[in-house]
Amino acid sequence: MNKLDQLPSKKILSLFMTCGFPTLSQSKKVFDEILSHQPDIIEFGLPFSDPMADGPIIQESSKIALKSKITTKQSLNLIAQLKKNSQKTAFVIMCYLNTVQKFGVQNFIKEIKNVVDGIILVDLPFEEEKSIKNLLDKNNIHLIKLISPMTDQKRSKRLLKEAKGFVYYISATGITGSNKLDYKEINKNVLALKKQTKIPVLVGFGIKSKKDVMAISKNTKADGVIIGSALIQKYFDLKMNFTKYIISLRKFIKEVKI
Amino acid sequence: MKNYNQPNTLGRFGDYGGMYVSETLMPLLIDLDQSYQKIQKDKKFQKELKDLFKNYVGRPSALHHAKNLSAYLNGPKVYFKRDELNHTGAHKINNCLGQILLAKKMGKTRIIAETGAGQHGVATATVCALFGLPCHIYMGSKDIERQKPNVFRMKLLGANIIPVESGSKSLKDAMNEALRDWIKNVRDTFYIIGSTAGPHPYPKMVRDFQSVIGKEAREQILKIEKKLPDYLIACVGGGSNAMGLFYPFLNEKKVQIIGVEAAGKGPKTNQTAATMTSGTPGILHGSYSYVLQDNDGQIKEAHSISAGLDYPGVGPEHSYLKDIKRAKYYGVTDKEALNAFQLCSKLEGIIPALEPSHALAYLIKAFKNKAKGKTIILNLCGRGDKDLFTAAKAIGFDADE
Repeated sequence: MNKLDQLPSKKILSLFMTCGFPTLSQSKKVFDEILSHQPDIIEFGLPFSDPMADGPIIQESSKIALKSKITTKQSLNLIAQLKKNSQKTAFVIMCYLNTVQKFGVQNFIKEIKNVVDGIILVDLPFEEEKSIKNLLDKNNIHLIKLISPMTDQKRSKRLLKEAKGFVYYISATGITGSNKLDYKEINKNVLALKKQTKIPVLVGFGIKSKKDVMAISKNTKADGVIIGSALIQKYFDLKMNFTKYIISLRKFIKEVKI
Repeated sequence: MKNYNQPNTLGRFGDYGGMYVSETLMPLLIDLDQSYQKIQKDKKFQKELKDLFKNYVGRPSALHHAKNLSAYLNGPKVYFKRDELNHTGAHKINNCLGQILLAKKMGKTRIIAETGAGQHGVATATVCALFGLPCHIYMGSKDIERQKPNVFRMKLLGANIIPVESGSKSLKDAMNEALRDWIKNVRDTFYIIGSTAGPHPYPKMVRDFQSVIGKEAREQILKIEKKLPDYLIACVGGGSNAMGLFYPFLNEKKVQIIGVEAAGKGPKTNQTAATMTSGTPGILHGSYSYVLQDNDGQIKEAHSISAGLDYPGVGPEHSYLKDIKRAKYYGVTDKEALNAFQLCSKLEGIIPALEPSHALAYLIKAFKNKAKGKTIILNLCGRGDKDLFTAAKAIGFDADE
């Protein structure tokens, strides 16, 4: 059974973190901390040298992870290892297509099968997805659809026709970690999407605090939120003190679990 | 070869090309593709572009018989397609005029671009000044340092230059930042990509706008020599000047086509930009093509003395032409390019940019005492003014004031 098919009906929390950040061994501790709070979904970012859809914070985390020479195989091993102690949280990988292509699509799927419930391929649009989607479907891994404010309804209808897992609604036109949130527009678009699909619609990009999470919950019909950059930002705020970082992560996740 | 008809409607040159971007950009690219298709049939648009080519750029660019260089080679008869005589000093302006007219047509009010050597940045800043649109140029801080004259040019033209500090601080990273800017400012912004790289429809569109080079060259050589050339030679970074020259000749199978990449310190070293000689197929900047990457698919930093060729990717159409063996690609080192830079200056009285100096270096290397009676067109796609400081430093001449 795919965990993404058993998500709660409301207030879904999805947390993103870059694999291998700040180092491979510290990364395990970061993920242990996150998973101990049993978020509904965890998104594992695989570091890429040229993350063109990510903002400065996630870029920096990728760069730091790559500096300690983490490989795709090491990231996948880490994810598999974490899976053993985590039964409740749905596992999702978020990465760029070149990482998967270079690993070999078949090999990659073989590695993540029975570990990962879904995958977000940031730079694989609907038009190019067919062959990969078929392979993922066969292995019960959901290809998560991103929808942006630029996606018109005609297009989102096509995109969501066979969508599974959840919809990742990009709440601001921009890169991950962007600033402005316009709740009225978000709600309008979320409502339109909910008419087109039965799977949960999650709002991501620009959600930074408990206040943002509460506001999304109160002002929109979104089924949940995705938080990424804000989790990583703390590390830099705390001048890269790892012990303090873990404590602050704990506090932050408790706050945003509403 | 049958009639060449690439790319397909999804922007595929064989397996290469495509659109690998986030969903935020997809609706824009689809819109851009449709608008581009429309203007191709729009007579008014084409007339306006033709007029600008003639009266603003100074086209057609001359086809110069390089007699002294030909005599030195004791081989083929060499012609230079002199796109370095264009307004702004390189071929880049051809594409920028096409794209800014399209941007106007689409009602866009803000222009962004990436630049390496600064030639595309200068060309973009120029057309923005001409059309009165705000212009933001992303440029790696390493390139800002080594292309100071062009930085000043862009500033004079009213452009805002945004230094890029990420990655290798050169062209690849400037393109990442420009794409991020575009994702953030989707509604009002037009991204003028300067090479035949990036997601569809850019590789096709840039090729088409640049193909004025090949069309003119074809007419000119037929008039002078009464026959087609035996060889075409051009340098390849992303590959726009080369595609511009090659494209109108692709169906002429007797015309041999040679692309010259920058091999930096050598194709087998880690300091190279020879993507097709040293790279493997992968995805960079929205397109599937040869790239310099490690075993994990992380993009490597490129190296070349020429900022315009210092790019770890290459346009998808070149990857296709390589695989179907319609064109051959070779690498030339920094040192060889510098020698050719000096030789061309002395022999022909033309100081070439470091980019076409790579094409010249290959010509000198491969055609000395060979191919007698054959004719070659080499695309002299840029002039060397911008490279004087870099070249002086490399040669050991103190050019500081």
